[in-house]
Amino acid sequence: MAVCVAVIGKDNSPLYIGGIGNDTSTDNELSRQWLVHTALDALEERLSTTNTSNTNSSANTARTDLRDLYLGLLYSTDTHKIYGYVTNTRIKLVLVTSSTSPSGSNIRDAEVRTALRRLHALYADAICNPFHLPGDQITSQKFDKQVKSLMLNNV
Amino acid sequence: MTAQPSDSTEFPPEITLKPLALIGLSGLDTINNAIHKTIWDAFSNNRRLDRASVQFKLLHNTFEFPVIKPKRNSYEWYIPKGILKKNWIPKRVSLIPAVVVIFYDMEWNDPQWNEKIIECASRVQSIRAAVEGHATRVAVVVVQSGLSPPPSEYMLGAERAQVLCSACEIQSKSLFVLPHSDHLMGYIVRLENAFYDIAQNYYHHETKNIKQHRDHLNKTTHQYLFVRHQFKLGFLNELKQDLSTAHKHYMHAYNNLLETRQVDTNIHEIRTVAGYINYKLCKLLFALNLARDAIAQLKSHIERYKNRIGPTELLFEHYAWIARQYSAFGELFDEAIGLGLPAIQSQHPGFYYQHAAQFTVKRRQAMRSVCCEALQYPPPPDPMEGIVEFYGQRPWRPGRLSADPHDPQKEQAAVLALQYNERVFNHSGMIISFLSSAITQFKTFHSPRMRKQLVVEMANEYYYCADYGKALTLLTHMLWDYRREKWWFLASHVLNRALQCAYLSAKIQDYIQLSIEALSRHIQVPNNDKDRIFRNVMSVLNLNIPAPEPDLPASSQSRALELWQMAIEKEPMTVIIDMMNISSFLEVKTKFTQVKYRMDDTIEVELFVRLTYNTTLQAKAVTLTIATNTETIEIPIVDNETSIVKLEGDKVKRFSCQFKSNPHDIGSNLSIKNVSFILDNERRRKVIMNFKIEENKSIEPTIHPELLHFILSPKSDYEYDCIVPMNTTSITSRECRLSIEIENAVPALQGEWFPTTFKVINNEDSLVYDMTIALSLLSSPDNPNPETVTELSFKHGEPQPQPLKFQVGNVDKASTYSNTFFLKTNRTATATVQLRVTYNIDFQETPKLQCVKDFTTKITVIKPFEVSTKFVELSFMPITKCFVDDPFIVMPEIKILSPWDLLILDTELETVDCFGYGDHKKPTSCISNLQVAEKNIASDAISVQAKYKPKDPPTRVGLYNIMWRRKSNTCGHCVMSTTALSGIAIEECPISIEVNYPEVVELMTSVPLKCRLTGRTDVPIRLSLTVEGTDTYIFSGYKKFSVTVPPKDKFELCYNILPLVTGNTIPPRLKATVLGDNTRQEVITEIFEKNFPRNIFVMPKYK
Repeated sequence: MAVCVAVIGKDNSPLYIGGIGNDTSTDNELSRQWLVHTALDALEERLSTTNTSNTNSSANTARTDLRDLYLGLLYSTDTHKIYGYVTNTRIKLVLVTSSTSPSGSNIRDAEVRTALRRLHALYADAICNPFHLPGDQITSQKFDKQVKSLMLNNV
Repeated sequence: MTAQPSDSTEFPPEITLKPLALIGLSGLDTINNAIHKTIWDAFSNNRRLDRASVQFKLLHNTFEFPVIKPKRNSYEWYIPKGILKKNWIPKRVSLIPAVVVIFYDMEWNDPQWNEKIIECASRVQSIRAAVEGHATRVAVVVVQSGLSPPPSEYMLGAERAQVLCSACEIQSKSLFVLPHSDHLMGYIVRLENAFYDIAQNYYHHETKNIKQHRDHLNKTTHQYLFVRHQFKLGFLNELKQDLSTAHKHYMHAYNNLLETRQVDTNIHEIRTVAGYINYKLCKLLFALNLARDAIAQLKSHIERYKNRIGPTELLFEHYAWIARQYSAFGELFDEAIGLGLPAIQSQHPGFYYQHAAQFTVKRRQAMRSVCCEALQYPPPPDPMEGIVEFYGQRPWRPGRLSADPHDPQKEQAAVLALQYNERVFNHSGMIISFLSSAITQFKTFHSPRMRKQLVVEMANEYYYCADYGKALTLLTHMLWDYRREKWWFLASHVLNRALQCAYLSAKIQDYIQLSIEALSRHIQVPNNDKDRIFRNVMSVLNLNIPAPEPDLPASSQSRALELWQMAIEKEPMTVIIDMMNISSFLEVKTKFTQVKYRMDDTIEVELFVRLTYNTTLQAKAVTLTIATNTETIEIPIVDNETSIVKLEGDKVKRFSCQFKSNPHDIGSNLSIKNVSFILDNERRRKVIMNFKIEENKSIEPTIHPELLHFILSPKSDYEYDCIVPMNTTSITSRECRLSIEIENAVPALQGEWFPTTFKVINNEDSLVYDMTIALSLLSSPDNPNPETVTELSFKHGEPQPQPLKFQVGNVDKASTYSNTFFLKTNRTATATVQLRVTYNIDFQETPKLQCVKDFTTKITVIKPFEVSTKFVELSFMPITKCFVDDPFIVMPEIKILSPWDLLILDTELETVDCFGYGDHKKPTSCISNLQVAEKNIASDAISVQAKYKPKDPPTRVGLYNIMWRRKSNTCGHCVMSTTALSGIAIEECPISIEVNYPEVVELMTSVPLKCRLTGRTDVPIRLSLTVEGTDTYIFSGYKKFSVTVPPKDKFELCYNILPLVTGNTIPPRLKATVLGDNTRQEVITEIFEKNFPRNIFVMPKYK
């Protein structure tokens, strides 16, 4: 399903970027990073609009915490679709699907939502590791393996 | 709108211009006739958007209309040679007017009317002849002076207008009158709208003509005509400003075009025309405010034509065409936004410019793959010469429709020519131009990161076209943002490209800075070859030319070497690098060992340096810059008694340095500003690496030392990570060894001058001199602004300005100095007095060192006593109100709160206006010279009577002054405390009563009871009096009678009473009832009640 999955910290630094590609050459990695990095624009825009609309009425502040973490489709290019998810601690999860492959283009929104929730859980597990330093890149092999299988499972 | 780069795919101006109905104006002599000039200007200048969509053209006598083509009766044998003729649109927009308007100067009452009318008619005739064959409409405007014709001539006007119409053979609605005197603009606008109506009519007529052709067409041979006619209909409707109908026809044209058979020979034509029609469609959709449909139209358009590639040797044309579709759409979108269309982050023109750039990149790739052999332009005859009648046709085979090339040789030469032209085309320039349009858009629509990516792409483009300076500038700016967000992979990509640019342009400053950053552990370099980069830095330091970066374009390498040879031994000799803004291989933390230093302490700074790149780095000098508020000092770091500092890779080295602070800096902060590492190999060039430490920059701990404890195998630099930098410290004055003893009798009493004696003891090891003492009051939460209510003084009874300053002079070692100050306060709160002792002392290293010591003492202030008031009548019965001229007693009660015994010297009551003393003179105090102790109550009594009834009930009787002092204080200064005594209600009574009776009588002895009634008002008061007798008395006098109390006069009653029993007796009492107005009954009853004795003590008779 997904061709790339990224975990981005609250200061917008990348914590994990994993992708499934035919090759792992620099060009592929580079385009993947560009894609995820530019998705931050849409993410931030989405976050700032939800914030401003909610701060208008103070009663809604509680609702901000309860809002759906899944942001849905952020934008799509000719080749990719990019979905976003923001955790309560402002960790951003990005999932990229390919619009050219049949499995990627026909994906349902609910599937993406489930996948991102699952990724959130995996991330939470990974940082629960006491030997992980918060803010550091996630180097856990187990996490990497699980994320890769998450991406592949749905293909 | 941004100017788009031009190439062969650019749209001709007639396609992009908005079509306006063409109206020809004839008969206006704008050169010689001022009025005509004004009229023409009014028509043609300053056309605002709200005016009719028309275009005016001035027709001179020499103007020739295009020749009309012979009408075709049958299309049976007609085979069209192309789709759209190039000259059709220009004809419609500039050569064939919809309306020709003939201007003619003529007054209705012109004396030479007949000649005039003939001339006018002949002009109309000549225009008619000129437009022969076209359906162009003719209208006549009679230009008049505009003096409004008198009513009598109105008939004449109508009649002559009729004559003129028939002479010119025009309808009366095509005749207009233009008075040119006043309100010219108003007339012009109305005329314009009238012409516009005629023009619309004309274009409607034209569309009808075209529609008639359709029946003659058949699909097999006339497919092109289906497209052409629908296009024409669309365009005419656009001229007519009927946009939705125009859109409908263009859509038909577009769909018809899709159905035409496509072969290699007509692909270019179909593509070109499809592009134009699509452009028109999108433009109309934007104008109709259907932006979504416009976007959908473009998408389906691209989707349909994406795979219609055409001949592979001209693949680049296909990509060029797609790029143009996107960029043209971007422009349309941008224009629409300019006119108010809202756009969002996910849908704005930037994406289309970006696509245009991407397809131009593909175009270049295609060029590289197919144009390798087109090394020179084909020999003459030039295949590109030749006039093409239709849009998108090839000049070397105009009008040919057959699929096979008729002349393979000519075709080959033509392809070569196209390929050669493509080869020399500046693709980079075009890409950069598209990218810069896109960047502007992405910036507008809140996509900073997308913008950055495009800027990097732009820089790459500059790199490909060997403009390394520009590329470097762009890249170094972008590097900053990627570094800040820690996208190291992207930062590495940008940095490596920037390093290539810096090498190729031989910019030493940038080259060194980028190289140093490349050595950072976050940055990945090609082949992981950081040693090469480090060697390059050292080479530049040693004035050697560095080794080239990998993957450089071969063509630029020799040029780069030349540049380096020129630059290497020239400025900049000193390369300064701001290390805090880049990620580098050196990390620095600085720390003062203490948060605070005393003036006489030695300040110590620790410097930790970590070299993360595995090498040995030798710095010629390391200096630490420390700023105080007066100066900036540089302290060299010394390592093993030499200033040369050697650092080893992957290790943390600690340095420390000590210095003494300057006496000027007492009370201020010291901060570490900078750490500099100087690399210098004695070859004139040096590199200074500055770690500027900014105070206000909040250092966000990215590493949390407390979490590092969990790490199983501590990182080698565990300790370094745990160090929390401390870059500021404060200098306080040295510890002062003076002490103080305070002696006073607290609590102080409110209002008194309270003495406090203090004794300063010098515990220093030597004499102190120039000692001054400053006394001031400190504010506290329960006592803000103490100086407003509290006085301080060194003299009893004389307030002095605060703070009190006092020069003491020298105090010897182990001796003391003492003094007394007085404090007087009116607030019962704790007063805090600060004694600041300032003095100088000599030390060996710092002579005349100034020391300051603050002492504070708290003085509680309490009230000496509390005063409450009682009101009683003369018989000491408590009262709650008094009557005018009726004396009563005020009894102030002084409750002593002071723990100290007091002596009340005197008291007095100052009454307010409405009260006076009962005895008409100030009475002497009852409690003067009274000694009192805590909890005693001293009662005073003053007889007072109300003089009149004021408007408002009095709030107080008066001010009660008490003169007092402490008993222990014998020196005679006394304190006067003033208290306001509460008020009592005053009532008026129309009469006053004075009863005279003895207080003690003997049994069985007759005594007089006199009662005097005095009228207080201006009217007599009639009373009915009754005597209420008792069993204990017999009395003589009237028992019941009525009296009249005269105004302002007295009435006296006299009774004799005789007590019958002993002891406390109630004497007979008088009761009064007011006769007449009984509103005052109550007060009269009350005053009788009050004044008549309630008891008389009767003594047994002395026998």
